[in-house]
Amino acid sequence: MKLAAIRSHWWPYSLFGRLTLILCVGLVAAHTLSFGLILYEKAQSSKAMMIYYLGKDVASSIAILERVPPAERASWLGKLERGRYYYVLGAGPQGRPSQSPLCKEIAAVVSAAIGPQYAIKTTVMDHALRGPQLNLHLALVDGTPVTVVVSPPDMAISPWVPVILTLQLAILALFTWLAVRVAARPLAQLAHAADMLAPDMQTAPLPEDGPLEVARAAAAFNAMQRRISAYLAERVQILAAVSHDLQTPITRMRLRADMLDDGMQRDKMLADLAAMQALVEQGIAYARSQNQAQTPDEASCRIDLDALLRSLVYDYQDAGQTVALHGQFGQPLISRPQTLRRILSNLVDNALKFGREVEVHVQPAANQVAISVMDRGPGIPQEQLSAVLQPFYRVENSRNRETGGSGLGLAIVQQLTIALGGTLVLSNREGGGLMVSLLIPAKS
Amino acid sequence: MDQADHILIVDDDRDIRELLTAYLQKNGFKVTAAANGRQMRAALEVGPIDLIVLDLMLPGEDGLVLCRDLRASDNRAVPILMLTARSEETDRIVGLEMGADDYLSKPFASRELVARIRAVLRRTRMLPPNMRVGSDEAAPMLAFGDWRLDTVARHLLDASGTMVMLSGAEYRLLQVFVEHPQRVLSRDQLLNLTQGRDAELFDRSIDLLVSRLRQHLLDDAREPRYIKTVRNEGYVFSAAVTPAVSAPAVVTGGMA
Repeated sequence: MKLAAIRSHWWPYSLFGRLTLILCVGLVAAHTLSFGLILYEKAQSSKAMMIYYLGKDVASSIAILERVPPAERASWLGKLERGRYYYVLGAGPQGRPSQSPLCKEIAAVVSAAIGPQYAIKTTVMDHALRGPQLNLHLALVDGTPVTVVVSPPDMAISPWVPVILTLQLAILALFTWLAVRVAARPLAQLAHAADMLAPDMQTAPLPEDGPLEVARAAAAFNAMQRRISAYLAERVQILAAVSHDLQTPITRMRLRADMLDDGMQRDKMLADLAAMQALVEQGIAYARSQNQAQTPDEASCRIDLDALLRSLVYDYQDAGQTVALHGQFGQPLISRPQTLRRILSNLVDNALKFGREVEVHVQPAANQVAISVMDRGPGIPQEQLSAVLQPFYRVENSRNRETGGSGLGLAIVQQLTIALGGTLVLSNREGGGLMVSLLIPAKS
Repeated sequence: MDQADHILIVDDDRDIRELLTAYLQKNGFKVTAAANGRQMRAALEVGPIDLIVLDLMLPGEDGLVLCRDLRASDNRAVPILMLTARSEETDRIVGLEMGADDYLSKPFASRELVARIRAVLRRTRMLPPNMRVGSDEAAPMLAFGDWRLDTVARHLLDASGTMVMLSGAEYRLLQVFVEHPQRVLSRDQLLNLTQGRDAELFDRSIDLLVSRLRQHLLDDAREPRYIKTVRNEGYVFSAAVTPAVSAPAVVTGGMA
């Protein structure tokens, strides 16, 4: 559990993050390893070199000290001094005896170089600043003690190395980011395209280019989109065909019902037939609305929107319904009058089904006009507001209890709204009820 | 009416033909039934027909073709009631443009059909011949003052070509006015004449409708140009009505 918690805490959510993390950590680790290895190699070889030359040098220096007269020895010490070591006549600094492998190795190399006649004793002194200091104690043939004081090899790295290292890591990070982006972006585009699919399946196909895998995924996605479109079109065609063919038998039954003598049975049958007919009409209207959305068959013309709304509302009022109109647009609008009228009457019919008092509000907005149809019915649960625009979707609450409905009413409105180049916004009103706002472009 | 009106039913569905025949006969009509265009023409040869109930969806020659042919033939004056399986506005407009006098969408109540048949018969007999929709002189577009009235699509067009839609009741009242210009019409007459269809829906007072029409026509009630009030008598449509060139509403290309 703990591990999982840590993992989920550190594990990025996005593919982009994950790939970046994996690549970065991997590359940095590999890079650090090889850098360390090079550093180690370099240290080893320079140490070996130093010890080798130390042996040779100490041997030749001791040979010189043996040959010059004892009185001149002190004056030679300066010439024999090297960067890392110098010679002291006498016992020199005394440190603690050391058994470290490095000391043993140095002692062995030096004694091998100068010959077995010299006994070498090593001591180590710790210097706070320079680190451990090695003393090689030996005696010349005449018994004069000599001490070689060896500073430890300087393993410090040049100041530019960390800069280069940082630079390299930065380049690594940059290219990792680029590579991951190249890999992850098509996925994001694909997801975006999939999101855009609903509701009308009219999304432009994805470009089928880029890397081979991406192009193939895009092609597959486009093919899938075409298939879905074809299925949807087929579904609509079937719906239209069935609805259409049902009209003749319904007409026959309607006429037969008129002939029935039993008033109660006849009324029940007429009610059933009316319900059937309503479903059939919705089916046909939906099929038509989808054709409208794809290839509008009505031309746009200049209309008096206020007169259209007034005539619509008056028709409802003349039929005894409570529908009120508020606000006015005040200028001509270029749109498709029949489509617009059908949208609005569908919305008002829908509103009347659920709330007896319906208000139609019209309001000019920036480059568009907002027409809202409001009722005081039960509204639609917030989370289902966008789903109700899908065909065959039914809200599972009191909104549908008595009427049933085909689940197509708002889908039809949605399709027709697309045909007008507008948008449909559903919201629940404060104090209860549904508000459907139709936003259509207003160019006068 | 000293003699029963002769109705010709053209529908490809045998059951519907039989049911309609029985019902119309029960309601005092003389009925002949035809299953297609050929039978329809044969029936028209035989005897005078007062009205044709024509199904839009027929195999072979469909209702629209038959309707157009009828209007071009010797039987052009026979009123046509179109039966359509669709209730779409465009079908109604197409049907009326092709020369149908009225339409009824399936399925319909038998009573509604009888009411419509009677209304169409009454209307065509009442109108002067040159005003008959469907006859050669039919004017789908009428002009008066600054306005034009599209009698097929049922809307007004102002001087700039902007479409002004009318409610059903408003249109019917305006239609009565433009069909009877310069004649004083009482409120009762107006009520009667506008009751062509949906009579039960029409219960608003004529005065309210007149004021709404004036609002649409930008007509000042105190100084009306179009609809004048005649005290204690009714209203008179005072503008001259002429057939207009069938210029449609200002149409903008493509998606606007």
